[in-house]
Amino acid sequence: MKKILISIIVISLFQSCEEGFLDLSPVSQANVNDFYKNANDILNGVNAAYASLQNGSLYGGRDFMDLTEYRADNTFDNDPSANSGLRYNVDRFLAGADNTIFENVWRRLYLTIYRCNIVLDNIPQINMNANLSKQYQGELQFIRALSYFHLVQLWGPVPLNLKVQTTDESRLNIRNSVNEVYLAIENDLKSAAANLPKSYPAAELGRVTSGAAKGLLGKVLLTQKKYNDAAAVLKEVIDSGDFILMPTIADVFDPKKEYNKEILFAVRFSLVNNSESHGLYYSSQIGDFIDPALRNLYGTTDSRKAMLDLRKPVGTQNQTAIKFFEEPVNNVVGTDFPVLRFADVLLMYAEVLNEIGYQSSGQALTYLNQVRTRAGASAYTSTALNNQATFRDAVILERRLELPLELHRWYDLVRTGKAKDALKAVGLTIQDFQLLFPIPNSQVQIYNNPAGFSQNKGY
Amino acid sequence: MKLNQLTKSIEVFKLLFIFLTLSTSTVFAQRTVKGAVRDDNTNEPLFGVNIVIKGSSIGTITDVNGSYTLNVPDDASVLTYSYIGYYNQDININGRTEINVLLKENVSQFEEVVVIGYGQQQKKDLTTSVSFLSANEIKNVPVNSIDQILTGKLAGVLVQQTSGSPGAGLSVRVRGVGSITAGNDPLYVIDGIPISNDNNRGFNNNNPGSSYAEQPINILSTINPSDIESIQVLKDASAAAIYGSRASNGVILITTKKGKTNKPTVTYNTYFGMQETLKRYDMLNAYEWSTINAEGRNNAYRDRFPAGKDTDDNATRAKNVPNQPGILIPTEVVPYLSNTAGLTNTDWQDAIFRESPIQNHSFSISGGTENVKYYGSGEYMNQEGIVISSGFKRYSGRFNLDLNSGKFKAGFGLNPTLTKHDLVNSEGPWFDQGVIGLALSISPIWPVYNSDGSYNFGGNAWGYAMTDFLNPVALANEVQDNMDHNRLLGNVYASYDLLKDLTYKLSFGSDINSFNRDFYRPSIIETTGRKGLSAPIGTSQTRFSTNWLLENTINYNKLIGKNNISLVGGFSSQMENFASSFIEATNYPNDLVQTINAAGQITSARTFKEAWSLLSGFGRVQYDYANKYYATASMRADGSSRFGKNNKWGYFPSASIGWRISGESFMENIKTVSNLKVRASYGVTGNFQIPNYGSVGLLSYDDYILGGTSLNSGLAPSTSSNPDLSWEKTRSIDFGLELGLFEDAVYIELDYYKKNTSDLLLNVPVPFSSGFSTELRNIGEVENKGFEASLSVRKRIKDFGFSFTANFSTNKNKVISLAEGVPQILTAGGTGVTLWITKPGEPIGSYYNPVYDGVFNNQAELDKYPHVANARPGDFRFLDINGDGKIDFSTDRQIQGNYFPDFTYGSTINLDYKGLDLNISLQGSQGAEILHLMSRYIYNIEGNMNLVRPSLNRWISESQPGDGQTNRANRLATGSNGQTSNWHMDDGSFMRIRNISLGYSLPKALINKIGLSNVRPYVSVLNPFLFTNYIGYNPEVNSRPDSALNPGEDYASYPLARTYTVGINLTF
Repeated sequence: MKKILISIIVISLFQSCEEGFLDLSPVSQANVNDFYKNANDILNGVNAAYASLQNGSLYGGRDFMDLTEYRADNTFDNDPSANSGLRYNVDRFLAGADNTIFENVWRRLYLTIYRCNIVLDNIPQINMNANLSKQYQGELQFIRALSYFHLVQLWGPVPLNLKVQTTDESRLNIRNSVNEVYLAIENDLKSAAANLPKSYPAAELGRVTSGAAKGLLGKVLLTQKKYNDAAAVLKEVIDSGDFILMPTIADVFDPKKEYNKEILFAVRFSLVNNSESHGLYYSSQIGDFIDPALRNLYGTTDSRKAMLDLRKPVGTQNQTAIKFFEEPVNNVVGTDFPVLRFADVLLMYAEVLNEIGYQSSGQALTYLNQVRTRAGASAYTSTALNNQATFRDAVILERRLELPLELHRWYDLVRTGKAKDALKAVGLTIQDFQLLFPIPNSQVQIYNNPAGFSQNKGY
Repeated sequence: MKLNQLTKSIEVFKLLFIFLTLSTSTVFAQRTVKGAVRDDNTNEPLFGVNIVIKGSSIGTITDVNGSYTLNVPDDASVLTYSYIGYYNQDININGRTEINVLLKENVSQFEEVVVIGYGQQQKKDLTTSVSFLSANEIKNVPVNSIDQILTGKLAGVLVQQTSGSPGAGLSVRVRGVGSITAGNDPLYVIDGIPISNDNNRGFNNNNPGSSYAEQPINILSTINPSDIESIQVLKDASAAAIYGSRASNGVILITTKKGKTNKPTVTYNTYFGMQETLKRYDMLNAYEWSTINAEGRNNAYRDRFPAGKDTDDNATRAKNVPNQPGILIPTEVVPYLSNTAGLTNTDWQDAIFRESPIQNHSFSISGGTENVKYYGSGEYMNQEGIVISSGFKRYSGRFNLDLNSGKFKAGFGLNPTLTKHDLVNSEGPWFDQGVIGLALSISPIWPVYNSDGSYNFGGNAWGYAMTDFLNPVALANEVQDNMDHNRLLGNVYASYDLLKDLTYKLSFGSDINSFNRDFYRPSIIETTGRKGLSAPIGTSQTRFSTNWLLENTINYNKLIGKNNISLVGGFSSQMENFASSFIEATNYPNDLVQTINAAGQITSARTFKEAWSLLSGFGRVQYDYANKYYATASMRADGSSRFGKNNKWGYFPSASIGWRISGESFMENIKTVSNLKVRASYGVTGNFQIPNYGSVGLLSYDDYILGGTSLNSGLAPSTSSNPDLSWEKTRSIDFGLELGLFEDAVYIELDYYKKNTSDLLLNVPVPFSSGFSTELRNIGEVENKGFEASLSVRKRIKDFGFSFTANFSTNKNKVISLAEGVPQILTAGGTGVTLWITKPGEPIGSYYNPVYDGVFNNQAELDKYPHVANARPGDFRFLDINGDGKIDFSTDRQIQGNYFPDFTYGSTINLDYKGLDLNISLQGSQGAEILHLMSRYIYNIEGNMNLVRPSLNRWISESQPGDGQTNRANRLATGSNGQTSNWHMDDGSFMRIRNISLGYSLPKALINKIGLSNVRPYVSVLNPFLFTNYIGYNPEVNSRPDSALNPGEDYASYPLARTYTVGINLTF
């Protein structure tokens, strides 16, 4: 009997069990339940929004370039074999809605927006320094606006989410109108311009400044042809004196002079850590990827021509343009990607002023020539550009010469209505519907709402 | 339960142990019975026969001569003689002092004892579907792990050897694939301890930039096959449901050998073998390849400059088509075009494969008395891989001890092992630096070594728009990648008969695993695409896991008249803690010291910890009336840390019934039918192989660089929360029929089953606008149904013994439903243009690609038919599936088969005659389709990589169309020939002679003189023949065995080996 008793005691001992045994929290991974509770959490959230821009589908790799450079006339993909022409097909307008490059870019832009939304939603509940709170909000508003700006230019009407949604809520998203999206972008950038500081300490160089927000706002307004508003905000940037043209174009892209005074905003990279680096931009071993016509457009004294010369890293057959060249370590480099620089601002301002009203020998010509002469090209005379149309063509040409490979060309062509002609010049006949990209197939299927979420016409 | 509580409990357990061991029973003797036991057929003496006084624990065993002596109390009346493989006999003593007995061999499986969850049962009493493999069927096959033994042996158990890499895991699927994402591995239970699958997870692939996970580690590879007593597979839900939330994929119970009541028996087994590749690709030689290389470049040249001639030199070509190296003829290729004799012509398969030895030594000591039984063994196994520099070694030991002192029983088992893996990155595509993929891809014009003995890296950064290939021999030989795996698997138990029929058992088990892996890639191996020394990379990884299990069970058995009742109930708690670390470093000053301490810079370092826990209560009632009518019901409740907080507990009931018709009086006259039983079962099981913290939204680091070099930590949500997350549920029914004829000499078992798995754990695609790509949910349903048949025929006629077993299984897999708003799941594989579809009405992971239909022979054909924009004569014609007059690969796709075989089969024949024995086994599989993605490279006719021989049948011109199926050579391919289609698919049907072995047991009379009881030399061949039309190495290949959504891809795999073995079994 005694034995039985002991045994029963033993059994009941093992039966008793604390609730805690089944409630195990992640040890090595932070979880959402305990996050966004203090200023440091918010800072981590803001940094992650920046980091999202480094993704290989955005400024850290090739996908973005496929959509905004290869698709246009500056560059070519020469390899129809690679990946069964996945990239080649985007370049040659053969790609359909199933092409995963469209999906990659779409996804990453929305993930970036989510990273902004979740922090913006949480900031009001945090007890923190008011200036810091404003700065963080401004940074996130800028990154969100930049993401939507890409989305609306690439795809037209897109879902506009400014708050975190549950996945069930997001299934009900529809394609908001282009105007709604632009309004949200403008609001974000105006708020960011007001919230953000003019500059940061050296260790934080790379955070968004009020100048960057204004510069991007100028571009957004120009794209919508709101020339007067654009002129005002671009003038603020120019007059602020915060930015200059570097002495030479080579200085702007010198890996030793990154984030120089010409840069309004760049996505930063470094060799310090593998996850902060990227492969050489535009690296290819199959021939020259730059349109020979573009090379021929440069005058003999134009130093920008040399920026497009090809160079091979030691011991390799790959080559890329000098503009983005750095000798790789283990096949990766740490060069920044400029999103907005002062030369771009000056050219936008010149364009805007000309659209408001042509002036012979006006400010527009001065700014246009500033960019030209910095590169060693001869200045335009007012006789050469003696009316609004010739001036307009000159500015667009100048943007092509100044900013190739910097992800502006496709947007510039669409904005100025010159895409079809420009592509015809390189042997591609396209139709109007192809000025927008196809919505990724997977998304059309998931929303499964032909009325509210249809595929772009023609695809 | 807290740990200190556990320690406390162990203290109590120790006291109980000591207390109970003291209360031994007393034995009293009155008179002596002697005699001998022999086989009634051969008259051979039987050694080790158990003789027990019926109703007591008093007994003895026979010696080598079959003789025994036993002291018998006066009141004893009956002696029971029992011997494995023979019918028991009860003999009335009737006052005799000498009793000689002839035992009759039992060929029936019906009497065999089968281990089931938390108990055991005679096969005749089973009402559930259980497959069974005994030690006898395990021996003689020179394999390194027990899952390899299961191959083709059991109906309903599909074992696929997806890789031939030494120590690699096998894919074991019991009755199909029920889960889409949560894992389909069965639960392994070794001596009562459910083993965690988590250690199967592959390590980080060390290769920079690699996207391919490695083939998983095989957690069973630490187990010495010679230690296995039996393997049972619990196939239906009713058998498996007692394991609750882990039982959906079937349960495999592995029982190790225990000591028996006899004199110490020492065995020594050894074998030595040579392995070679079972199958190779037929690749082009350097001259043939060069022709196609040049042709591909000429075609690319003329596509761009129609007036160009094949004879144009590179300068002319470059002038006509500037800046396009893809149209130039590499200077190194030119001499081959004029058929200059004696040029380098490397067979890269020869360079990386070898004939390699395998050897094994194992010994064991076992024996025991009524009170103490022991089994101890030691093993050394050394297998060198057939890929150079790969290998696997195992040192294992086992000690099992069982104590029996009447009402009290206790014991333990301990199994320490060390396995050493010499790893070579063999599998995976060339761009992940897989050695095999590289050997197939690199041009045969390059030598392995330069004349100075250094490695030749001509295939890397060659130029001419040639893809960069590193030297695979250099990678295999010079990259150091070693993994040590230490494991201690152990269990200890004690049981006590509280009442005559009531037994309480306490057991504790633990499984401790420690992995250590060091990797070093020296500077002499170039970086892909870059000539010259590379920056060396070293990594060091560790992983440590502890898993413990504590179980209390109560057993009650009672026979009341013809009513036989047995009950089992219990509680268990189990927990696993997991810790890993990873350090990567570079800037080594030289290649002399390769450990991390010599590195100048740590580029990555991280540690990771996780844990899961499981708390369970379970019970089972088994009832039978007169061994004719059977009913069983069981229930398990599982709570786990993995489940979301709204769904912490799951309940898994099951029931089964059986009717042994042959036990009825009306069957007595039908002598032919020795056994006939029908049974039916129903049960609910679960699959808890879901992520440890799947229900919690996790944050991941994504850092950002500011100020040039300062790293700023960033954190963002990477998964969404789901507090409702729970296990997958499988409801299954099974109907079975067992028929024994001619005293069970012929034995047939048939089963039909249907398994419906619902609440599938699915990464449901969500709109990207939500901030996520997918969300983990329980949703949808998958059905598996199938039919299994097995047949065995056993007969002994005097000296001649014969047995034949065969099994046949079909399984049909079908998705019933997916999530709301998810009409289908498209999954990409090795490339973005290769798709699998999972949608209702179709099997999980069906191939979903465009259909190619020959080549366009001329411009007229091309103009007549829809084609991709840049197609030219000689390019593939794809079917316009939706008939819209254009080829669009987003819509012109269709389902083209799947990786699941239509049926599988296996068979074994054993013959023996006067000491000679012959064993032949085979297995086969019919109807599986394989996506041979390697065709994308070695069958693309671009002339960029080496090509398989059928490439010679390419289209050359309208008048030389080749076989009309193969596209033209073109370095800069047009016509989307590389688009994954049925061109890349192949039939994976095969029949394989699995093993042939021939042994001879020396006559007992001869060897007894030198103190041996058994000497058996043997020879065997593993995988002697493979019959298949499959183009690649291995028709069972699967690049991603862990992923159900995109199975069956062959992106360079490790071939299986054919092994010639000689060995000897010795018993002292």
